[in-house]
Amino acid sequence: MTEIVRTEGLVKRYDNTLAVAGVDLRVDAGEIFGLVGPNGAGKTTTLRILATLLLPSAGTAEIAGMSVTRNPDQVRRVIGFMPDAFGVYDDMKVWEYLDFFARCYGIAPAGRRRMIGDLLELVDLAHKRDSYVQTLSRGMQQRLCLAHALVHDPQVLLLDEPASGLDPRARVELRELLRELRSLGKTILISSHILPELEELCTSVAIVDRGQVLAQGRVADIERRLRFGAVLRVRLLAEGEALEAARATFAADPDVATAVLLDDGTIELGFRGDDTATARLLAQSVASGMPIVSFARAASDLEELFLQVTSPDREPLAATEAVA
Amino acid sequence: MTESTSTSAPRRQRAMPFAHTAGGIAAIGVKELRGRMRGRRAFIILTIYLLLLAGFALMVETLVERSFSTGFGGASAMASSVIGQSIFAAILLLMTLQVVFLAPSSAAGAISLEREKQTLELLIATPISSVAIVVGKLLSTLVYVFLLIAASIPLMAVVFVYGGVAPEDVLRGYIVLLVTALGLGSFGLFCSSLVKRTTAATAVTIFGVLAMTIGTAFVLIFWTAMGTFDNNGNRVGGPFGMRAPAVLGYVNPFIAQADVLCGTESSFGGFWCSGVQALVPSDQGVIFTNGGVVGPVPVAEPAIDGRKGVRFDGNNQVINDVAPAQPFGAERDAVWTKSVVTWLILSIVFLGLSVQSVSPTRRWRLRRGRRGPGSPTT
Repeated sequence: MTEIVRTEGLVKRYDNTLAVAGVDLRVDAGEIFGLVGPNGAGKTTTLRILATLLLPSAGTAEIAGMSVTRNPDQVRRVIGFMPDAFGVYDDMKVWEYLDFFARCYGIAPAGRRRMIGDLLELVDLAHKRDSYVQTLSRGMQQRLCLAHALVHDPQVLLLDEPASGLDPRARVELRELLRELRSLGKTILISSHILPELEELCTSVAIVDRGQVLAQGRVADIERRLRFGAVLRVRLLAEGEALEAARATFAADPDVATAVLLDDGTIELGFRGDDTATARLLAQSVASGMPIVSFARAASDLEELFLQVTSPDREPLAATEAVA
Repeated sequence: MTESTSTSAPRRQRAMPFAHTAGGIAAIGVKELRGRMRGRRAFIILTIYLLLLAGFALMVETLVERSFSTGFGGASAMASSVIGQSIFAAILLLMTLQVVFLAPSSAAGAISLEREKQTLELLIATPISSVAIVVGKLLSTLVYVFLLIAASIPLMAVVFVYGGVAPEDVLRGYIVLLVTALGLGSFGLFCSSLVKRTTAATAVTIFGVLAMTIGTAFVLIFWTAMGTFDNNGNRVGGPFGMRAPAVLGYVNPFIAQADVLCGTESSFGGFWCSGVQALVPSDQGVIFTNGGVVGPVPVAEPAIDGRKGVRFDGNNQVINDVAPAQPFGAERDAVWTKSVVTWLILSIVFLGLSVQSVSPTRRWRLRRGRRGPGSPTT
C-alpha cells in the first residue's frame, strides 16, 4: 500500500517541556490509524504538526509526499482537520457554515451547492440544513465539524478525539460514519483514549507515551510481537472448594500465567496463548466437567496492551521492537 | 524525500496569488456580514443613529441661532455661515468621536473571539492566508462603521443650505473619518490578535485610544506650556529641551478634524486654527520680538535660518530684513494630510503585526507563559 503519512524523528519542544520526543509514524493510504496514549502523551501535538498548525522543533513530517513545514498550503488542501476542542459559529445556519469553509477552499459556487447537500446527507444533517448551528446537539455539531473537514474532499482526515463528549448513540453513529469515509477511500488518523472503540475501528494503531511511539502496527501484530496475552474471565456454577480446585486446574495450564479468584467468584486468568490455545483451554475445561457459565476475554486487547505498554514500571522496549 | 532538518522556521511562503487572497477576504467578509446584517436589527440601529444625529444637528442649529442678537445693534450678517460651520463642526466631531471608539472596539473582538470560540484553528487549517483572515476581519468589522459614515452624508449636506462650508471641506472631513476608522480599526485588530481574551483586548484597545486622543492632547498642551521664549521671542523647547514631537498631533484624529474645521474659517485667529497651531509644533509662524505672543500663525514661506516665519518688532511692525512680509492667514491642510498619511502607515504596520500574530508558523513570538497556538496541548 502507498504510504500517505510519514513522520521521522518528529520533536516538539516548548521552553522546558518535550511534548513530542522523536515520533516516527508510517500510515498507509486507506487506513484508519489510531493514535493511542494517555493525556499529555503528545497525540494532539503530533496531529497539530501534521495539520500545519505547529512547527516541529526537529524532524520531518510529510503528507502525500509533501512536507508540512515547506508546503503547508498544499498540505492543507489534502487534509481535513478536526481539533479536539472546536467551536462553531453560533450565528450561522448549517448550510452557511459549510458554505463558508467551502469558500475558504476556493470551491466554485455551483460545486458548493451540490457538495453541501451531499455532505449533509453523509453526516445525516440534511434535515437541519436551515437550522442555526447553536441549536444543534453536541453530537450533531461534532458531525457538522467533521463535514466541514470534508468540504474539499481531502485524502487524509486528522481527527483529534472526535468522540469526546458524545453519548453512546452519537459515538456509534460517528464510528459508522468513519467506516463509511474509509470505504470512500479516505485515510483517517484518529486520536482517542476510548480504546475499545479504536480497537473496533482502527486498522492500525500507534501507542504513544511521553512523546514517543512505544508500539505501532496492527493490534494483533503488536500483541504477538510483545508476546502479551489476554485476560480471560471464567465464571463457574460452583462455590467454595470446588471453585478453588478449578482455579488450581487453570493455574496448572502451561498457557496460563496467573489465575486469581476474585471476590465475586470469577476466576481471572492471565493468558499467554492465542485463539487456538483459548479454544483448547475451554474445551479441556468443559471436558473435565467444570460447570462453566461464561468464558470470555475480560477487556479489549488494546486496552490491556495500552496499560501494559504505558505502565510506569514497564521495561523499556527496544527501538526496533517499538516501531518495527 | 525528506528534508534534513526543520529546526529552523520554514521559508516564508511565496505570496499567494492575489485572486486567492481576495477570495479568502470575500469568504470572511460574507461570513461576517451574514452574522451582522441578518434581520432588521442592523437597520433599526442605523435609523435610530440617524435620528439622533439629526436631532443633535437641529439642537446645534437652534443653539447657535439663538446666540445671535438680531435686534438693534445686532451682528447677524454672518449668521448663516456661522450656523453652517457650527453644524459641520458639531456633526464632524461627533462622528469622529463615534469612529474613534466604535471602530477599534468592534475590531477588538475580531480575532480574540475566534480564539475564545475555538474557531480560529478551523480557519487557519484551511488554505486561506493569514493576510486574508486579518484583512477580511478588518473590512467586515469596518463595514458597519463605514455604513454609519455613509448614511450621515445626506444629513451633513444640510450645511450647504446655511453656507460657510465648502464641499471640499466636507470631503476632507470624511477622508479623515475613513482613514481614522481604518487606522484605529487596525489597532483594535492588532490588540485582538495579540491579547487572548476579548475583554482584555477591548480594555487594551480603549486604553490605547484614550492615549492617542486625550493622552496626546494633554502631552501637547503640557509640552507647549512648559516651553519658554528666548530674548528674541522665539519659542525654545519644553521638556528635554525639545519641542513636542509633531507626530503626537498627527495621531490625534480630533486635531486632524480641527485642522479640517480650520479650513472653513475665513481669517487667522479663528477658534480651530488657533487651537491646532497652539498644539501642533510647527516651524512656521509669526514670532513677535517682544515675546508676548504665544500662538504662532503659520505662513507658507520663506525659510530663515532653518525656521520659517515673519518677525515683528515691539510695535508689531514687520522687520523686513529678517523676512519678507507674509499675508496673515492660517496655512491650510497642514495637519490633517499628515494625520492621514500617519494613520495609513500605522494601519499597514498594525495589519502586518496582526498577520504575524495570527499565523501559526510565524517566525517570532513574544515569550509569555500563556497558552497560545504554539503551546503544549496534550
